[in-house]
Amino acid sequence: MMDPTRQWLDQTLLEIGIGSYVIAALALLAYFLFRLRVLRAVGMPLAIVGCAAQLGELGARWWMTGVWPLTNLYGSLSLFSAFAVLVFLIFAFKYDLALIGGPVLALAAIALGYATTWNEGYMPAVPALQSYWIKIHVPIVIGAYASFMVAFCVSLVYLLKSAVEAHYRDRGLRGVAAGAGGARVDVRLAAYSSAQPAGGLRADTPATADAAAHGDGFAAWMAGLPSLARLDVMQYRIIAIGLPLLSLGIITGAMWANEAWGHYWQWDPKETAALLSWIVYAAYMHLHTRPAWRGMRTAWVSVLGFGSIVFCYLGVNIWISGLHSYKM
Amino acid sequence: MATRSDLALTQRAATALRESWDDLVRLFANVGFGVSLLAVWGLLTLIGVVIDQGKDAATYAAAYGPPGARLIERLDLGNIYHSAAYIGVLGLILCSMAAATFTRVIPRRIPRLGPVKIDAIPLHASVRVAGTPDEVRARLAAFFAARGWQIRKREFGGEEWTFADKNNWARRGVLVAHVGFVIIATGTTLYWAKGYSGQFAVLSGQTATIPQTGATIALRRFSYRIDPIATKAGVVYQPIDYVSDARVTGKDGITRDAVIRVNHPYDVDGTLVYQSTYGFAIDLRLTKDGRAVPGAPDQPLKEGEGFPIDGTSRSVQYTRFVGTIDRATGGPGADPRPNDPGVVLTAYDGDRPIGSVLVPLGRPLDLGAGYVLTPARYILYSGFQYGYDPGIPLVGLGAFVLLAGLCISLYFLPARLFVIVRAVEGGSEVGLAATTVKGYDVFEDRFRDIVDALRRSAPQPAQGGA
Ligand code: HEM
Repeated sequence: MMDPTRQWLDQTLLEIGIGSYVIAALALLAYFLFRLRVLRAVGMPLAIVGCAAQLGELGARWWMTGVWPLTNLYGSLSLFSAFAVLVFLIFAFKYDLALIGGPVLALAAIALGYATTWNEGYMPAVPALQSYWIKIHVPIVIGAYASFMVAFCVSLVYLLKSAVEAHYRDRGLRGVAAGAGGARVDVRLAAYSSAQPAGGLRADTPATADAAAHGDGFAAWMAGLPSLARLDVMQYRIIAIGLPLLSLGIITGAMWANEAWGHYWQWDPKETAALLSWIVYAAYMHLHTRPAWRGMRTAWVSVLGFGSIVFCYLGVNIWISGLHSYKM
Repeated sequence: MATRSDLALTQRAATALRESWDDLVRLFANVGFGVSLLAVWGLLTLIGVVIDQGKDAATYAAAYGPPGARLIERLDLGNIYHSAAYIGVLGLILCSMAAATFTRVIPRRIPRLGPVKIDAIPLHASVRVAGTPDEVRARLAAFFAARGWQIRKREFGGEEWTFADKNNWARRGVLVAHVGFVIIATGTTLYWAKGYSGQFAVLSGQTATIPQTGATIALRRFSYRIDPIATKAGVVYQPIDYVSDARVTGKDGITRDAVIRVNHPYDVDGTLVYQSTYGFAIDLRLTKDGRAVPGAPDQPLKEGEGFPIDGTSRSVQYTRFVGTIDRATGGPGADPRPNDPGVVLTAYDGDRPIGSVLVPLGRPLDLGAGYVLTPARYILYSGFQYGYDPGIPLVGLGAFVLLAGLCISLYFLPARLFVIVRAVEGGSEVGLAATTVKGYDVFEDRFRDIVDALRRSAPQPAQGGA
């Protein structure tokens, strides 16, 4: 057991983490809706504070107890939310992607809140987990999961934007059929077929832009989101972080299993579920090489991929018996 | 002697065969087909995760009902990872990958240098600058070289084209990734062909043999450490360490002391022995009217083992070891360490359980009809796994190559700029287009920056502008 002062530090850092995420999530969701810079100015620093507090809490726990804090679901889910926020922050600053902060921070807050229900205190690890591999394997896998979560949030925005575009397109076509909007078709065709001018974002939601130009408030709000092409590239870049990490996670897991259980691959439900996610994201990468599939379909595959990650991370432990059974 | 019509027939057959072969290769090389195979692979893998593998028909019937169990048996879903379907899909994926690599990846990813229609490429621009085409080409070469682009010049139809490449080497990343997958597949096949693995349990004081090599492992002592830990939810008994103190004899006949611990396998002639589990075997004594009975077990039983009672339809199973019997309740206590140990015994009539009871060690249990069963003492046993896998170095190499291929193809974007310079009034016009192996969107920002930098750095033509 730790002494009360250390417990207080642990608890306080945890509360700062959750508190910051909740407020940051609300501020960034509001920023997504209202695009007021002040909301972003509140949300982003809080996301940084929350992430630092969380990493600090895990580090402090390790330092104070001498026990690697990632041997249970509390530690791993905490790291998951901290890494997801970290990946988000990197992309937000590097590629101006703060708009997706709302869903990322909200999911991070939920993950951390759920993690606290698994917070048993300070347990030493069971024999199978007393290995240097845990220090390598777990953060890598969690880093992969976290990246896929952020990519999933980008995919949601992509799907939202393209669904809205389809809606305005259908409306426009109905208008054309009724003889009321011939000009719109021309604008759209021109935008789709136009050779790419150097510079500027591709006008890849012409129907939405058109509706916005005709005074539709919701369309104007939608048009303010990054272009579909940009969202697709972001989603791809984030998955391109997650897939090698997941591959490395599976490889290090196999190396550890080889050392601990006698074979690098035992078709254990947990490792097999990780393989399943790997297959989904490998399929994503291949589909993304085809222009016809890049976009809506790859966004759906990213959503499916994150579903498979949730299944692998939590579902297998909850629903499937005889698991990655921390066997000893 | 073959007649002319025979020859024509043979030729037609050869052509038809060739066409069918080409069709097949085209199908296999199609990315959609490859992804469909990946989807089937994923689906089979999912089935394997959801349906507990390697269980018997009764377990499946209990979980999914008799029709479900029949389906599982018929489709071999209980052993899916070694089923023909699973291995077949992996084989098809390898074929598909090979076809795609030779007919698509290599030509598409490593294209020859050639002229293009600049305007037809979505990322294109034209910039008017001062100077003759030759001067401009020289300046452009310096401009791109300074930014790390590899410059090559070629003449086509009397026109000189400049090609600037970034990360050209990384065009081979996909090949590397695909080769990595093939190496992993080869390594796993080697295990299937030549490797083996298994498990056994040895009681303290006894010796076990690895059947494939004849090596013996004598367990001198097994020790464990379980500590009580105070947590928010109360005291939890956490295992801390398991160690087998053994003597191992390999092929050379020399016996060596071996400490085999979790996460630290012991190597006997290339076969690795792993500490995997432990348990408490129970020495059960059965008497009838005070005298030993022939059918009684002559070996201590491990958890889950049982024995029939001679001359009856009944049997007794040693179900579970209880380290500490709770004095207050008479039931199992939380501490798994053997402080006040007992065993849970279950009686069966045929296959049907007819009752369980927790018996303290040393206490006789009256089974009726003069039979008395006494759990006399416990003996610790150690569970080992062993394995020999000659494919491991290949699988490791393949994993490394696959990962390297992934990183090359995902982090180094090969991009090619096609540059043509033509004389116009007052100077030259630079036509510029960019392609990458991942489409255009991913390069849009960079292309814009390049064109902007070019515009800024180039001297303006005498009149007019871009
Ligand atoms: C499961 C094992 C496989 C792995 C690990 C793998 C890996 C990769 C990677 C990393 C890329 C590069 C993706 C990118 O640059 O965005 C790629 C591209 C490609 N893969 Fe695979 N692949 C596998 C299976 C297959 C299969 C079964 C096919 C059969 C069609 C295939 C065909 C291709 C093709 C044609 C490309 C290049 C596409 C293009 O240049 O447009 N791969 N692969």
